[in-house]
Amino acid sequence: MGTQKTINSLQVFLTEVGDISYFAGRFFTDVFKRPFEFKEFLRQCYNMGNRSLLLVGVTGFIIGLVFTLQSRPTLQEFGAVAWMPSMVGISIIREIGPIITALICAGRIGSGIGAELGSMRVTEQIDAMEVSGTNPFKYLVITRILATTFMLPILVIIGDAIALYGSYLVENIKGDVSFQLYFSEVFSSLEFGDVIPSTIKSFFFGFAIGLVGCYKGYNCDKGTEGVGLAANSAVVYTSLLLFVIDFVAVLVADLFYEL
Amino acid sequence: MKKNTINSNAVITIRDLKKSYGDNYVLNGFNLDLYEGENLVIMGKSGSGKSVMIKCLIGLEEHDSGTVIIMGKNIDDLDHDELDELRTEIGFLFQGSALYDSMSVRENLEFPLRRHTKKFGEINDASPLVMEALESVGLARAVDLMPSELSGGMKRRIALARTLILKPQIILYDEPTTGLDPITSKEIVLLMKSVQEKYKTSSIIITHDVDCARAISNRMILLVDGINYAEGTYEELVEMEDPKIKAFFK
Amino acid sequence: MKALDKTTAQKIKLAIFVIAGLSLFILGVYLIGNQQSMFGSNARIFATFNNINGLKIGNNVRYGGLNVGTVKGIRMVNDSTIVVDLTIKKDALGYIRKNAKAALGTDGLVGNMIINIVPGSEEIGLLNAEDTIHSYRRITTEDMLSTLNVTNENAAMLTADLLKITRAINSGEGTISYLLKDSTMALNLEQSIRYFRQTAASTSKMISHMDDLIVSLNNKNNVIGLLRDSVTANQLKSVVSNLETTGNDMNKLVANLNATVTRAKEGDGAINYLSNDKSLVKKIDTSVNSLDATLHNLNEASIKLNENLEALKHNILFRGYFKKLEKEKEKQLEKEIK
Ligand SMILES: Nc1ncnc2c1ncn2[C@@H]1O[C@H](COP(=O)(O)OP(=O)(O)OP(=O)(O)O)[C@@H](O)[C@H]1O
Ligand SMILES: [Mg+2]
Repeated sequence: MGTQKTINSLQVFLTEVGDISYFAGRFFTDVFKRPFEFKEFLRQCYNMGNRSLLLVGVTGFIIGLVFTLQSRPTLQEFGAVAWMPSMVGISIIREIGPIITALICAGRIGSGIGAELGSMRVTEQIDAMEVSGTNPFKYLVITRILATTFMLPILVIIGDAIALYGSYLVENIKGDVSFQLYFSEVFSSLEFGDVIPSTIKSFFFGFAIGLVGCYKGYNCDKGTEGVGLAANSAVVYTSLLLFVIDFVAVLVADLFYEL
Repeated sequence: MKKNTINSNAVITIRDLKKSYGDNYVLNGFNLDLYEGENLVIMGKSGSGKSVMIKCLIGLEEHDSGTVIIMGKNIDDLDHDELDELRTEIGFLFQGSALYDSMSVRENLEFPLRRHTKKFGEINDASPLVMEALESVGLARAVDLMPSELSGGMKRRIALARTLILKPQIILYDEPTTGLDPITSKEIVLLMKSVQEKYKTSSIIITHDVDCARAISNRMILLVDGINYAEGTYEELVEMEDPKIKAFFK
Repeated sequence: MKALDKTTAQKIKLAIFVIAGLSLFILGVYLIGNQQSMFGSNARIFATFNNINGLKIGNNVRYGGLNVGTVKGIRMVNDSTIVVDLTIKKDALGYIRKNAKAALGTDGLVGNMIINIVPGSEEIGLLNAEDTIHSYRRITTEDMLSTLNVTNENAAMLTADLLKITRAINSGEGTISYLLKDSTMALNLEQSIRYFRQTAASTSKMISHMDDLIVSLNNKNNVIGLLRDSVTANQLKSVVSNLETTGNDMNKLVANLNATVTRAKEGDGAINYLSNDKSLVKKIDTSVNSLDATLHNLNEASIKLNENLEALKHNILFRGYFKKLEKEKEKQLEKEIK
């Protein structure tokens, strides 16, 4: 009984992974085919980039603030408060910035895509598109995946900057550290080896958010629960996938660093 | 038998269409001929497979077996581009209107024009076409509204305008009057009639609505158990004694 | 028309968003690159080392505490020489002399490795691009602490010896009388004692300095900050070296004293000379007394220093280091047993 169940759920899992891979494959074969829906791409960029900015900014700011406040006592105990900018800078640029921004976007954009495409599927808007001669995969899926892929790194950069600013404010108030000193400390501790991998990672994060959201929405079950489920599982699967990508990215970056 | 001959006048011919979802055999050898300029009404119980049939017809669903010939072309033989081109000649009014929620009425109407440029050439300003289509459904004032701001009946009419904008030769209506009050239903029926007169279209109309069927049909097909159970004019069918047919006209 | 305006506005906002993001990125890359001397005009110089102690590509190069460049490459040229490529800002190159030295150091107690370029003497010409400079051995915190320990032990030993000798001088009348027989001896002794007094005074000053330092070292909150602060580190260094020289001096002195005493034992006719000079006798007396006091102080200070070092051992930050020392000792013991 138990083994049967695990085999079944394993099968479900593998089919899901296979389907997503197939979906990704379709993305890569279709993305270079004309026509390219540039206008829709820009519209999606605006929706995903600009409209997430406030959320990402506020979260980044709070993270920077809280992170600094929390680590301050410990560093103080070692008399190493002067290291705060380096520590905050490295952890935000390398890890916290990308992953927090990606998770926020998985929640906002991923579920948004899942729900939007899901309801379009359920209300036959996707079919309507198909019969009116527009390839819905190109129009809906490719534009969205590209938009998340390109917008996420930018959101990450802006989120990083705001988080660092939040951290600076704490240091400025509590430790009387000037803007110039804070940021020169941050940048002196950073290397290209910190910035480049995390930027590349952000592209993959964006791709994952778009891919899973679109997959879930595009293959949504008919019915209203289908839409909810699509939105919900888009977030869950994306978050999971984000951590997997993060893990792989760290491994790969480490490998490159060693070489 | 009329059933198996292919009439040269037919714009759409369906032969022995089969479609199943797993164990659910929805269509078991459905046949249909649509003649030029005619309004063919298809009736059937909910869940009998009417929508599935019409989607197989236009290539949105793949059928398991059988042939579908539209204006002399077997849709199985067409590649994607040819199918797209053929679809410019077919308007499809979806059961739930299927307006694009994220676009205004104008953008909804312009949407089909984006790719079907072969028929019209490059369109610089779609406005006249949009307004013409909107005027023919009597909703020119709604041009800058969003779908969420429209009532169900208005949505239906906008959806009709969206199918009309390509000036199709064939229009497929999936339950155009369902969910509307009798007065609005009547308006829609009148609209369909006027469209048919204006654009000289051939139409397949799926409906449960007996009044609608009587008002608009030249000929009717009853879809029961996945086949074309009975065919004839409204008057012929009403006269039939079969209890399964009688059930429709109570 | 209205719809068109909306999309245009969106496009503009999107463009602003993208440009903001990209410029932040470029700014960040530029700032990091600046730190690594990637942009701007740079020159390449080389530094040779025997041991680079884990220096990595990208580590900073400082001249007089100012960041002037980064490490660009590291390669071995033979079994004992490692050549490090340094990129240096061109304008900094205009101040570095040909005989400047490179020294490895750490940025703080546990920070990254850095190369400090120590200024050379002024009469020598300026360094050119592609020139090579030589290196100092790195003075690490570890070195400093171990020197401190050895010196401390030495000081304790020295004090004990001195105590013995002075006690002998003080109590042994026979010795004194022997001593007083020799007039050249007496002169010698006078000189020695002056010398001794001086040394003792400076030692006692030193030890009090040392004491202050160790006390502040022991202050747990301060320990990293203190050692990070290169001024204090330098101070500590100089104290240690001073202590060493003092120790050396003392050694010399003790040797001197020893010789004097031995000679005194052998006995020549200094007594006459000495007994005529009453002031000298008095002088010797006070000197010996103050010497005794100073030595007493020194002894106490050494004990304190020992205690402090012991306390330092228990300080969380240094625990690892001392444990390592102990382990090494144990290992050696085991080896010896085997
Ligand atoms: N994508 C699908 N997957 C599985 N089953 C489907 C699918 N689409 C339709 N069906 C099944 O096919 C049958 C016919 O559905 P269809 O939508 O054609 O009914 P209908 O005749 O249009 O009913 P209604 O009048 O309510 O619209 C139903 O039993 C439905 O469960
Ligand atoms: Mg239906």
